[in-house]
Amino acid sequence: MINVEQLIFEYPNLRALDEVSFHIPQGSITALVGPNGAGKSTLLRCMAALDQPMSGNIRINGIDVLEHPRECHRIIGYLSDFFGLYDRLTVRQCLHYVARAQGIAEADCAAAIDKVSSGLYINDRLDVLAGTLSRGLRQRVAIGQAIIHSPRVVLLDEPASGLDPEARHELAELFLNLQQQGMTLLVSSHILAELEAYSTDMLVLREGKIIEQVAIKTTSHAHTQDFKLTLAAPVDNLAAVLQSIDTLTVLKTEGNQAAWLQIQGDSVQHHQLLTTLLARNLPVCEFAKITSNLQDAYLDTIRHRA
Amino acid sequence: MNLNPEFQRQLQLEFSQARLVGVPLILGIIFTLTYFLDNQTHNEVSITAQTALGLFLLMVSFWGARQAVDSVLEEQRSHTWDTQRLSALDPWTMVCGKLLGSTLVVWYGGVICLLVYGLSANNLGNLLWVYGYAITSGLLVQNISLLLSLIALRKGQINSNSVITGLAIIAAFTIGSWIMPLSSNPQALQAMPDASWYGISTTSQFLTLMTVCWALFWCVVGNYRLMAQELRIRTLPWVWFAFALFLMVYAGGFIEAQHFSEYFYTTAFAICLTLSYLIVFTEYNEPMRIKRLLTYITQENWQRAAEELPLWCVTFVLAAVVALPLSFTHPADIEELHVYPITILLFLLRDIGIFLFFSFGKNPQRAFSLTLLSFVLLYGVLPGIFAAADLKAVSALFFPLVADSMGISIICMGIQSALVWYVLYQRWQESV
Repeated sequence: MINVEQLIFEYPNLRALDEVSFHIPQGSITALVGPNGAGKSTLLRCMAALDQPMSGNIRINGIDVLEHPRECHRIIGYLSDFFGLYDRLTVRQCLHYVARAQGIAEADCAAAIDKVSSGLYINDRLDVLAGTLSRGLRQRVAIGQAIIHSPRVVLLDEPASGLDPEARHELAELFLNLQQQGMTLLVSSHILAELEAYSTDMLVLREGKIIEQVAIKTTSHAHTQDFKLTLAAPVDNLAAVLQSIDTLTVLKTEGNQAAWLQIQGDSVQHHQLLTTLLARNLPVCEFAKITSNLQDAYLDTIRHRA
Repeated sequence: MNLNPEFQRQLQLEFSQARLVGVPLILGIIFTLTYFLDNQTHNEVSITAQTALGLFLLMVSFWGARQAVDSVLEEQRSHTWDTQRLSALDPWTMVCGKLLGSTLVVWYGGVICLLVYGLSANNLGNLLWVYGYAITSGLLVQNISLLLSLIALRKGQINSNSVITGLAIIAAFTIGSWIMPLSSNPQALQAMPDASWYGISTTSQFLTLMTVCWALFWCVVGNYRLMAQELRIRTLPWVWFAFALFLMVYAGGFIEAQHFSEYFYTTAFAICLTLSYLIVFTEYNEPMRIKRLLTYITQENWQRAAEELPLWCVTFVLAAVVALPLSFTHPADIEELHVYPITILLFLLRDIGIFLFFSFGKNPQRAFSLTLLSFVLLYGVLPGIFAAADLKAVSALFFPLVADSMGISIICMGIQSALVWYVLYQRWQESV
């Protein structure tokens, strides 16, 4: 769906994007993460054909963004980190304007507004002036403006900043809903816990370079789980003891007292393995699934590359 | 009905019920007062008509300019500009929507003023001329304001409202100085001298009106092009080239037939110089643009290179083309100054280099004022000091038009330009 190749963007004395290349599959929700100044917003603006890079290629849904920026505008929705609304217009007027500006016929505008406002839970605020809305509601209206024309690709720059936990949860639900409708989303954020609720992939950008692209929700094979085993006291040659058991793979051990294991099978097999471990007189005090989260994956990547 | 969405939004914002009622109400009160004054004074010139015309000019110029400027710069200040840039609206829809939508309330009041003028003027002989001048001039001021706001937007000077509105007020006074005599003096039209354009005899008021119409046309074209660039539609510099050619041809029409060959090149050269200075000061000059240009040239991507080409290059090349034949015609000296076209061209090159040098610095917002200061030093103070000290040769180093030899003047100016461009190159390399 999205292909970026060798993208270079430069500000005076600063290369903001340095030969950035990646591919984003259709229907995915990709978390774009990285420290401040990594180039996330610049990347999104280049992809939205708002800023012109020095060189490189961007293709969205087969459209060469740099050659045909206006065609790209028709199939994307973009929410800037510093978005604005027409404060003197009502929410309905704001959405109506964007719908018309995006080429939706007058007769179809009401249905489009109804659909998007229902999805964003703002249908009871349609006749309220945008300038009087709270930060969270403004964010929802801005997202509504970005998706009212049902774009194939939605680029969102820090969409959850300033939102309360409830609003973030609703936002996650909305993104999953958009994904189900066939949209591809690229979401930049600092709040990794929030991204985890809906992201399928993660793209890590640092100092203008993509340093990692991982699939978050498809990393584990079916029936394969990562476990952490902790012992009450150290056991000599723990790694060798564990490797002698067929139904597990030792990922790593730590001080002969802890081990990270990959185990195949369902909960019955997990139980059998625990029985085997106890039968070998291992003083097990903890045997638990590792739930890999986005924050861990991100920090691992950053530490690994540092 | 599928109304222009931008026009519709501007109407929703600007054409409130309060204004719909308030504008005629306030105008009505003012005209009631002037009606009573007319009854009391019995002047030949109707105070009501004069007031109506004056109010029209103020409204369409001052208020209209402010509305046109806000329709663009307010978008950037409110962070809604990106939404507009990403819309499916074409540049023409955007320009018309912004210009007509934001100023409709102004024209609503303006039409009331013109109607009152028509009803109250003692001299109706010039009515159509007054209407023609007033409407086209009003549209011109608003278009120029939109043009300037798009330029300011491109340069990131989004708080330029007061400067642009100030220019609009100056324009309003200029227009007023043409129109007001027409409204007060029935013989004003007859008093105007005849004029001729390429041998076609006509009246000066008609030529003035035509000039305003042409200016309006080119402003609209300029707005379209700038809006297209904002919407990321790629453009080549043909329009700027065509505009320069148009000006040369149009201005050439005012040269007397017997002196045409003598003055045409001088006029064309002056136009190219003026346009080059004008565009280099108004265009957005950033070092990265030059880097992109050089990258595309290296890649032999000529289409993209032409898109990135600074517009001053176009008129500079045109000026160079005109300067060559002009050099052979030996234009007459102006007192002690020799008119050496190649030297003047090098002046232009040096001055552009100075402006770009400051534009590529850490504070490009000050580039214009620093350049003006440099010009005062280079054109006035330094040559003046040496001239006063009776050191004409040293003075000619700084201002080579006083040198008696064209060759020496070219060498002096060539050295200056080379130095400036060398320093500019160093700064550009530091900044990319």
